[in-house]
Parts: sequence; structure tokens; C-alpha cells
Amino acid sequence: MLGSAELCFNVDHGYLEGLVRGCKAGLLTQQDYLNLVQCETLEDLKVHLQTTDYGNFLANQTNPLTVSKIDTEMRRKLCGEFEYFRNHSLEPLSTFFTYMTCGYMIDNVILLVSGALQKKSVRDLLGRCHPLGRFSEMEAVNIADTPSDLFHAVLVETPLAPFFQDCMSENTLDELNIEVLRNKLYKSYLEAFYNFCKDHGDVTAEIMCPILEFEADRRAFIITLNSFGTELSKDAREALYPTCGQLYPEGLRLLAQAEDFEQMKRVVDHYGVYKPLFEAVGDGSGGKSLEDVFYEHEVKMNVLAFTRQFHCGVFYAYTKLREQEMRNIVWIAECISQRHRTKINSYIPIP
Amino acid sequence: MAAADLRAELDSLLLQLLWDLEELESKRVALNARVEEGWLSLSKARYAMGAKSVGPLQYASRMEPQVCVCTSEAQNGLQKFRVVRAGAQSPEEVGPREAALRRRKGLTRIPEPEVFSASPNPLNWFGILVPHSLRQAQASFQEETLKLQMVLEMKPQMEATDSFFLGLLVAHL
Repeated sequence: MLGSAELCFNVDHGYLEGLVRGCKAGLLTQQDYLNLVQCETLEDLKVHLQTTDYGNFLANQTNPLTVSKIDTEMRRKLCGEFEYFRNHSLEPLSTFFTYMTCGYMIDNVILLVSGALQKKSVRDLLGRCHPLGRFSEMEAVNIADTPSDLFHAVLVETPLAPFFQDCMSENTLDELNIEVLRNKLYKSYLEAFYNFCKDHGDVTAEIMCPILEFEADRRAFIITLNSFGTELSKDAREALYPTCGQLYPEGLRLLAQAEDFEQMKRVVDHYGVYKPLFEAVGDGSGGKSLEDVFYEHEVKMNVLAFTRQFHCGVFYAYTKLREQEMRNIVWIAECISQRHRTKINSYIPIP
Repeated sequence: MAAADLRAELDSLLLQLLWDLEELESKRVALNARVEEGWLSLSKARYAMGAKSVGPLQYASRMEPQVCVCTSEAQNGLQKFRVVRAGAQSPEEVGPREAALRRRKGLTRIPEPEVFSASPNPLNWFGILVPHSLRQAQASFQEETLKLQMVLEMKPQMEATDSFFLGLLVAHL
């Protein structure tokens, strides 16, 4: 007996799924990466990228070409594809796309608030915001002094409004409070996105829920690792952990008490999915970092999303794979521009 | 005999100069390696945090340096370089900088002497929860300033040895 996804999905979303699968086929291959790592200059890199799906995306860039310009143009191209999908989508896919953009909106809000702290001009900041996270109230973000002001004056009418429940405080937005705000917003957003996918059910839930569970657990691990040696207390740290992952509740409670990387490793001994990831982390500067290992795992999950049909997860997976490809290209470009080729092969290929 | 002594002195000066040159070169290589390591760690931080999260937007256009290079002239006329960290005070400088009075009563108060505060950690410009690669970059650049001091100290010394050598050589000729 066919499920409802197999019967109904293509009616509203079949065209877009076909389109995104075509876009996925245009991701860089291993041969493309081999060509890129042999480039001597960023101009060579530009020439090689012209032979891929990127085409002449750098044609309008003036000399000298920089890594930042390459990154900006790649983001613009991704945004163009994403907006096309979004503009042609129907419910519930259009709400799914809105959820995807919320993560970028949070990053933009934090960028604007941090930039205001450094007395940067709003114009400069707006130019650097992620295009996928643009919203009309962005220009007013820097007038707020507290999270409460930020919500009431600026964000109350935006899709971020529901995520402000745990973030309302009258504390001035200094560096620590901005970091806490960023992580609390992201926690609420991730839990809401997870519940949306779970309530949707069908293949979308089967694909997206494990991906978002991993994202939640990854955030918990990275927050813990980066908080060692900082002024963030254990209780404050625990309040930032998203609760929609596999670690909730016992794993998060143990992680909150960890004081170094070895104690974190002892926590993941109880979780079969994460134990091999932590064992793959190198010691010292030679091996892989925890972030690298997590990115590799994320790529595997996103590639597997394409083995199932009739679900919204392909759009999320494609966007994340494209972002990993952009990180790879930026890394290779940085190694070329710094003439530091020993680590140029430390990118993550996408099968 | 005097000529033989002069030649021996010239030889020893030349050898000293070559040893110093080798040491300076190795210190420069180490300094460049730290700088390259620092920049690569910044690239790794961008990989982890996002390309736009570690860049000019995160720090103010005007800032107070944490490390300065101060020059002075030593007794022998040689230029002396010193790498000074912000917050470093000699024992004579510690204590109240100027006399100040406090009134016990009344609404007005004379401002108290300015208390020196530690300069903020530049890592906080990028957030509180920064990845290990960004901390590594900071450590590399801090180590680089130490090595810079060693290189700066060697150069005037070598120049003095070089001038003395040339002076002796000309006198011998």
C-alpha cells in the first residue's frame, strides 16, 4: 500500500524536486577538486570554475580577485537558486523554506548587533549579511540596546518572533549576552523546525528528523568544547543546548558537567553514533578537528537524503551540500592565496 | 706580528658575523613560520565559523595596540628596540599617579586617579564561544611578537660588528 507521500507529493512539488536533483548533479566532482588544488593563482581557480556549473559567476568582479569576492559570488548564486525554488513552492514546502531561512536570519541579526557594538556603519554591515537571511526590518536592528528592545521594536513581525520566548531580558547587549542570545535563538529555532518536520510526518520526517537531531547534538558538543576556559558557567552552557537531539536528556546533563575534551569523550561512549566520530579526531595540529569530523558526517547524511523520494529534505540537503562545496572552494582559495599548500587537500569531497 | 694579530681579529670578527647571520636567518624563518601558521589558523577558523565571521566587520576601525615596539639609544650609540606589552609597568610606576583628595561629605567629589584596566581580549570580538583554531591563531601571533623581539635585538648588534669589521679592514689596507 503506497504512503500518502508517494501519491500526493509530486502534485505540488514534483517539478521542484526534479529541479533540485538536477542541481545536485552539478556539484563539483573529485576530478574538479583535483583541478582546483593544482591552481597556482586565484585567476587559475576562476578559469577552472568556469568549466563547472558555476560558469562565469566571477565575470563582473574587478581585479584583484580575492577569496572574499569568490565567497560572496558563490553565496549570491546559491541564493538565486534557493529563491527560485521558494518562489515556485506551495505549502507545506514554502513553510519548510521559511524555516530554512530562519537560521541565516539569526546570523544576520547577530552580525548587525555585534557590528553596532564595534561602531560599524549599517551600510557596511548590510552588505555583508547572508542573502538567504534578509528581511525588511534588518536596517533597524542596530537601534536596540537590549534583547527586549530588539524584540518589541524590530523583530516582533518577523519569522524570528516565536523564537524570542526564552531570550527576553533587559541586559545590555555586550559580547557575552550577544553570544547567549545567538545560541538561545538558534536552540528555539531548531526545536521548532524539528517539531514542524515531525508533525509533517511521512518521508520528510524520516529524513529530516535524524538530520536535525544530529544538528542539535553537534551544537551541544561545539558549545561545550568552545566554552572551556571562558566566562560561560556550566548552568548557562546547559541552557544553550537544543533538546531535540539524541543526547537529550541524560547526555546533555553529563555534557554540561564536562570540563575538558576527555570528559566529553567519556559522555559519547554511551552513544554509538558519536563514539566513532570522536575517535576520528586527531590530536594536535596534524589531524582532523571535531568540526571537520562533524562536517564529514553531515555530508554523508545529506547525500543519503537523495536516496529517498517525495520529501522536502532534498532541498535542505542540497543547500547544505552546496554550502560544504563553498567551504571547500574557499579553503582551497585561501591555501592558494597564502601559498600554503601542505593542507590544501583538507577539503571534504561530496560523493 | 701586529699584522698577524689584525688578521686573526678580522677572521674572528668575520666568523662572528657569519654565525650571527645564520642565527638571524633561522630566527627569521621561525618568525615567518609563526606568521604563516597564524594566517592558516585564521582560515581554519573561517572554515568552522563561516567566511564572513572572521574579518574586518568584527573589529573596530580604531583600536589600541596590545604590543608596541619602542626604540631608544643605548650608551654605545646602538639603536635599541623593545617590544612592550600594554599593561606592563615598571615597579616605580605602580601606585597612585597623582595626589587626589576625597571629601567625606558633600555632593561633589574630585575625580579619583585613573585606574589602569587590563586591555580586552581581541578574541571576544569574534564571540565568546570561538573555535580552537582562532585561539591557535592568537597564540601563533603572540609567539611571533616574542620572536620579533629576538630578531630586532640581533640586527643592531650585527650592524655594529659589521662596521667594526669594515673599519679594521680599511685600516689594514
